Amino acid sequence: MAVDVETVVKIAAYAGGGMAMGFGAIGAAVGEGYTAARANLAISRSRNPEISGEIFKNMLVGQAVAESASIFALVIAILLLFLDVPLPSLLKAAALLAAGISMGFGAIGSGVGSGYPGGEACFGIAKQPEIASQLTTNMLIGSAVCQTPAIFSMVVALMLMFIEFGNAPLQPTWAAYLGAGLSMGLAAIGSGYGGGLAAGASCEGISRQPKTAPSVTTIMLVGQAVSQTPSIFGLLISFILMFKSFPESTALSAAMALLAAGICMGFGGIGPGIGNGMAAEGAVRWVARNVEHAGDLMRIMLVGQAVSQSTAIYAMVVSLVLIFVV
Amino acid sequence: MGELGRLDQLIIPFLGHNITLNLKVMLMTWIVFIALIVLGLFASRKKKILPGPIQAFGELIVSMLYGLTEDALGKERAKTYGPLVCALFMFLLLSNWLGIIPHLEEPTKDLNTTLGLGIMGFIIAHYAGIKSKGFKAYIKEYFQPIFFMMPLNLIGELAKIVSISFRLFGNIMGGSIIILVVSYLTYSVVLPPFLYAFFGLFVGTIQAFVFTMLTIVYISVQVK
Repeated sequence: MAVDVETVVKIAAYAGGGMAMGFGAIGAAVGEGYTAARANLAISRSRNPEISGEIFKNMLVGQAVAESASIFALVIAILLLFLDVPLPSLLKAAALLAAGISMGFGAIGSGVGSGYPGGEACFGIAKQPEIASQLTTNMLIGSAVCQTPAIFSMVVALMLMFIEFGNAPLQPTWAAYLGAGLSMGLAAIGSGYGGGLAAGASCEGISRQPKTAPSVTTIMLVGQAVSQTPSIFGLLISFILMFKSFPESTALSAAMALLAAGICMGFGGIGPGIGNGMAAEGAVRWVARNVEHAGDLMRIMLVGQAVSQSTAIYAMVVSLVLIFVV
Repeated sequence: MGELGRLDQLIIPFLGHNITLNLKVMLMTWIVFIALIVLGLFASRKKKILPGPIQAFGELIVSMLYGLTEDALGKERAKTYGPLVCALFMFLLLSNWLGIIPHLEEPTKDLNTTLGLGIMGFIIAHYAGIKSKGFKAYIKEYFQPIFFMMPLNLIGELAKIVSISFRLFGNIMGGSIIILVVSYLTYSVVLPPFLYAFFGLFVGTIQAFVFTMLTIVYISVQVK
């Protein structure tokens, strides 16, 4: 059965679209479920039933933000399904598949993560109804920053779909594109989830001590920013894989080295992202209880994160060696 | 869609190498510089005890940023690094907001801008570290906890430049690519203004703050 190039491109686009939406649906649903569960708990625990409306409103806002990761996935999936490819080639097929992989995996972490601030904000409103608007603002900032890894994944997906990479040789380059998608998509999982832990802790902390809100929000942002570092390494590796031009070689090992570089950075970024998020969660939680030690807590958080991040740096070094040396 | 990934470049051959100038980015950077200088002149001209609106706005920003610097670095060092922090934050804020105006683009959308600022922060942090601890103690830190960790510590320090500059670049460029694609798909109806508000104003403000905070934090990790 002879399959022409156009069919292969179509197959890749459909497979990519399916993966983008299928995997992309996992995270947001889990996160939204957590928000709803915390909101129910909050309503049943709170002593005045009047604020249940406020909690319900906050839950819907929080879920709407958590949903945005899977909306990104939906946009990419629909684009992949209805895309017109002007010059079909096998390379384009690899790029489209990689776009789906990048977006699908990339939406998981951010979706789960941004459920946490929503849930904790609902719970906080039940405890302190008078600071409801402050909690909602903090929740929005926290969960918007959680979306950053998903946004990076979407950017890589859009670049893979729309940029014409010229006449790159098919042989190693197809693996580079697939590696770019895997590197960004997988590395975004941990960072999105970790950022959510920090944001959740900040909502909980503000509801406990509203006066500490400025320092709590600041430390949350720094902690989230450092949790995102593994996904930024993923972005760097996928940029290198997309834009470096590789010499043509029919040897399979050259292609596999590029694919392995993407897999290495992708999986290597998951753990450090979650671990950094846990460090940030702890720091944020204790700053809210003990604001006069904010400086020490922040320094210890950063040192701890730097150590936990070293595994992501090992992964990045190995990926760079795979790309440039092997 | 052809706009995606296109750059206005001027390439000058020089002694066998090519010097590449990103003209549009340079122009946008100068627009931000001029806007900042004008804002500064208006805020500090005719200072009064009862401040006018622009002076009050300027005082608010400066006192907030000085407060953040003092929390991280202490009162003495805040006097040295406070102006840097204020200038950095205001530059990044205006740069990230510039994309809302039609036909203008964020200078931070170009990796050269963010990488330059990242390297600047890195050099300042390490200079501050050497100045406060002395050269010997500074070098010794790289051999902690065991001497053969030196290469990894070094890479870890250099990775900070990558992470700080790619974070800003990725967010701003990502926002503008998403806006471009969505505008193309919806024929610029309904959705783009909201996306500009989210990616330009909201994400832009947060990322400017995060970049500034991380620069302060890198300095404070070095000096302590």
